[in-house]
Amino acid sequence: MNAPRTLAERIRGGDRRALARAITAVENESAEAVSIRAALAAHLGHARVVGVTGPPGAGKSTLVNALVKELVARGRRVAVIAVDPSSPITGGAVLGDRVRMGEMQGHDAVFIRSLASRGHLGGLSRTAAQVIDVLDAAGFDEVIVETVGAGQSEVEIAKVAPTRLVVCPPGLGDDVQAIKAGILEIADLFVVNKADLPDAARTESELHAMLALRRHADQPPVLKTVATTGEGVAALADWLGARAHPGRAAPRALSTARSAPTGHMSPPMTGIQRDAAALLERLMARDAFARHLGLELVAAGAGTATVRMRVRPEHHNFWNSCHGGALFSLADTALGLASNSHGTVAALIDSHMTFSIAVKAGALLTARAEEVSRTRKLGVYRVEIRRDDGVLVAGLTGTLYRTGKALPGEA
Amino acid sequence: MNKPIGKPVARTEFTQGERRWQADFDASPGAAGRVANRSGIEIKPLYTPQDWSGERYLEALGFPGEYPNTRGIYPSMHRGRSWTQRQLIGLGVPEDYNARLKELLAHGATAVSLIPCNSVFRGYDADEVPEELLGTCGTVVNTVDDMERALADIPLDKISCALNDPSPFTLLALVLAVAKRRGIAWTKITGTSNQSDCISHYVANHMFFRLALQGARRVLTDHIAFCNAQVPGWNPLSVVGQHMQQAGATPAEAMAFTLASAIQYAEDCQARGMDPDVFLPRVTFFFDISVSFFEEVAKFRAARRLWARIARERFGARDPKAWRFKFHAQSSGVDLTRQQPLNNIARVAVQAMAGIFGGLQSLHTDSYDEVVSVPTAEAARIAVATQNILREEAHLTDVIDPLGGSYYVETLTDQMQEKIEAIIARIDAAGGMYAAVGQGLVQRMIGDSAFAFQQRVERGEDTVVGVNAYQTEEDPNAYTVLEYPARERIAAQLIRLRAYKAQRSNGAATKALDALARAAQGTENVMARIVDATEAGATHGEICACLRRELGFGQPLAVV
Amino acid sequence: MAEQRPPKIIVTKIGFDGHDRGSRVVAAYLRDAGMEVVYTPPWQEIAAVVKLATEEDADVIGVSSLATDHLLVPKLMAALRAAALDDVQVIVGGIVPPKDERVLIEAGVAQVFHPGASLEAIADSVRALSATRRAQLEGSI
Repeated sequence: MNAPRTLAERIRGGDRRALARAITAVENESAEAVSIRAALAAHLGHARVVGVTGPPGAGKSTLVNALVKELVARGRRVAVIAVDPSSPITGGAVLGDRVRMGEMQGHDAVFIRSLASRGHLGGLSRTAAQVIDVLDAAGFDEVIVETVGAGQSEVEIAKVAPTRLVVCPPGLGDDVQAIKAGILEIADLFVVNKADLPDAARTESELHAMLALRRHADQPPVLKTVATTGEGVAALADWLGARAHPGRAAPRALSTARSAPTGHMSPPMTGIQRDAAALLERLMARDAFARHLGLELVAAGAGTATVRMRVRPEHHNFWNSCHGGALFSLADTALGLASNSHGTVAALIDSHMTFSIAVKAGALLTARAEEVSRTRKLGVYRVEIRRDDGVLVAGLTGTLYRTGKALPGEA
Repeated sequence: MNKPIGKPVARTEFTQGERRWQADFDASPGAAGRVANRSGIEIKPLYTPQDWSGERYLEALGFPGEYPNTRGIYPSMHRGRSWTQRQLIGLGVPEDYNARLKELLAHGATAVSLIPCNSVFRGYDADEVPEELLGTCGTVVNTVDDMERALADIPLDKISCALNDPSPFTLLALVLAVAKRRGIAWTKITGTSNQSDCISHYVANHMFFRLALQGARRVLTDHIAFCNAQVPGWNPLSVVGQHMQQAGATPAEAMAFTLASAIQYAEDCQARGMDPDVFLPRVTFFFDISVSFFEEVAKFRAARRLWARIARERFGARDPKAWRFKFHAQSSGVDLTRQQPLNNIARVAVQAMAGIFGGLQSLHTDSYDEVVSVPTAEAARIAVATQNILREEAHLTDVIDPLGGSYYVETLTDQMQEKIEAIIARIDAAGGMYAAVGQGLVQRMIGDSAFAFQQRVERGEDTVVGVNAYQTEEDPNAYTVLEYPARERIAAQLIRLRAYKAQRSNGAATKALDALARAAQGTENVMARIVDATEAGATHGEICACLRRELGFGQPLAVV
Repeated sequence: MAEQRPPKIIVTKIGFDGHDRGSRVVAAYLRDAGMEVVYTPPWQEIAAVVKLATEEDADVIGVSSLATDHLLVPKLMAALRAAALDDVQVIVGGIVPPKDERVLIEAGVAQVFHPGASLEAIADSVRALSATRRAQLEGSI
């Protein structure tokens, strides 16, 4: 058995195999993980952590390769974590992201590790934050985290990366909707890749327009790149270099919360928030009706839940607009999650729903539930369903009876 | 003999007859169970005039050589002139290749083909790669001298040449240089740049030369333009369905992807201002023939009809020669087994028959030991004999399109055509083949089909004789495996390469390579500069390296 | 914590051959069997495979070989040993004549699969080899 102190020296001294083995231990929370993390704790805080996310087809891997090449040329030592999705049915995964990266895989200054999501929602794996710590402690200047490519729900990258890049292909069309919810909230920079294609300029202005709607003080910039030729990548690296680097101020603690880096972000999650979020993920996964409707949990915390639904033709009523029952189910799901997030059973006893506008198939609806008041026995929650352009579609207010009993299926 | 079922009385009798047969059939042993072919089309036990009655003969079939060419692209087909027996060969060093070539010609093969070593496919000279890998699967040809030795005593102006020669077509350039040395005009050279299609190599990762796909696209269009003008008897474009089918695409998918690729190449030529009546007649195709006999016959007949329509209507070609779907086909190596290898002789005979009834222009039959190594001389001889037997003993050439009019085959031809058209529509919706392969769509479809096939074999739903049924104890010594080329011969080849580089004018070669680089950077025809470069003494590897630098290194998409 | 950590395998091709139908089908099957598969395109350099195995801490490397690329496998084995990756298990699948198979086993290859080998047999082998390697490395970094 290796003494942890010797291990830290080996890892920081460039022993790649020791580093990889340490990552395995930490990724899988093996018996050695705790002592490894303790041994590395003193060396945290040097690396700049950058998250890269975006819809499929954006060319994320090619862009990461080009960015890595530029950073290496500037003398940086770079580590990349590529997260790939595990099959929810078999548990297996094809770890293909790193292989798509290209030539920089072979470079000595670069270390790449694939992580399978293993059922974890939100774009990362459960122990991704701890793996980032190991790479930080190993002495890399940059740690780039490339998330699972679905685009809509990758908000979790916000928990682990102070700097978040959202990569978009030109001509998104419908996928522009996907960018709006969730991802819009967390991006520090948008990159329109494949900018040599004809639709690039239009996508750039569409992004600017969407950002303007949010009326926030600091707007994330939009850069254009052609990852295959390297065009625009130097500017991207410049932008990264100019950003305030949280790590330089003081060593970061072992990953609990990540620092909240920018003004338009919710504050970092506390332990209670994280437990609530994890609980709601589990509850959502057990909700057969929510799955049937195609509902997606986007954000969760103590007393709050955000659920999203894309209206499909199956949700239509005889007027070919979204059935009121579907809207109610969406709001009710968000409300149910928010009210049960404290860990005990809460059951809806009375509710009132107001419908403002009709919506049709294709619309992307976000239902956000917030706690209005809570006593030992009763809770009042308000849910607003908004369309992706911000217009209010419907509102629900519900009163719930809190039984105080533990949730079934939760210890 | 089809009598249209028109009169009510006749119809009633027909229906009654059919019902009687159906009842008897259902009662027979083994009658249960649905059957589908590899493309997923359900196959009934019986076909009747209800399925196809010949009323639309002229419109759907026509006469051979007449639009839409369903029964054959020429009026006389194999009865007039047999298909070309073009056995693909490639072996070791040029001298060995030349010897094998002469043997095959003596035994009845009527054309020349050349498969280069994998190192050549990948774009390298022999001195740039691990020695173990040289000459084991094809011939090492890097210089004009090598090509001269490979084609010694072969009359290039009389024999058609097929070169397995992907981008950037250096092998053709070497042949043209040899022709010039021998005083043979390029207008007399006939043959094909086999498998010059870049999309299929990108998708099925076979022989892919590492030019970025868009660079390979440009070089291909230059190549077609150059050949149409300077080597008019040459077919510069050979669009390949073989690799995708061997990678697991169903026959319908492979045909659809191939036609969709051909459409892209034709569009590129048209965009260059080239005339469809000039470039389309010089387009050929290259297919796999699986052991699914009727499916393959229907696939080829449907393709002929589809291509004629595409050429005439989508590209506006007016010359009937431009509507012709010319193809070479090869028995599918993927259907051959390592277990009980002599069984492969039977399989190849069936595949060959399907291709002949499918109306091919040129045929390669695999040797039975192809699965294990480069074929032995004996096995290669049997492969050629198979073709001779089919033609001269079984008289398969006496009748043109003999399966035409079969209720089954005509129905299946229509159904295969429908499937193929639906897949082409899907590719069109994705923006064409280049866009579709860029997104990984085609690769995923092929992977899914391959996986599904493997599952069926593993579950015993599809039989492979000797593998999942009728197995025997294997005798590893049942057949001899060809030895790899003797290391001394490879070593000698390397010495010759070194000597060649020492003796040529390095100045002339470098100058020609610079001119090639400049052409690649601009819009000048790259093929013309490649030919100049070979004449100036540049080697295959040097030309490829130059183009890799200028046009980019390509990566195939790894899609599982 | 009780480990549901799946076997991790690299499926790759070294040398020049480009036929990857077999390796793709195997990669898909192993994924569906619950394993984590790093799948590479063909024409990998040996040094690249070694770096991959190091960084990913792979349990098994599966080399697919159709033409004569298996002749390079002894060089791969040597490179793995030089990088202190002796514990990584290597299997080879494809067309390997009997006398060459002996050479591979002697070079340290754990198993050679021939055409017609069942996917389940390959999956079983990967599971077993992965378990062996992890038991060997238990408690060490």
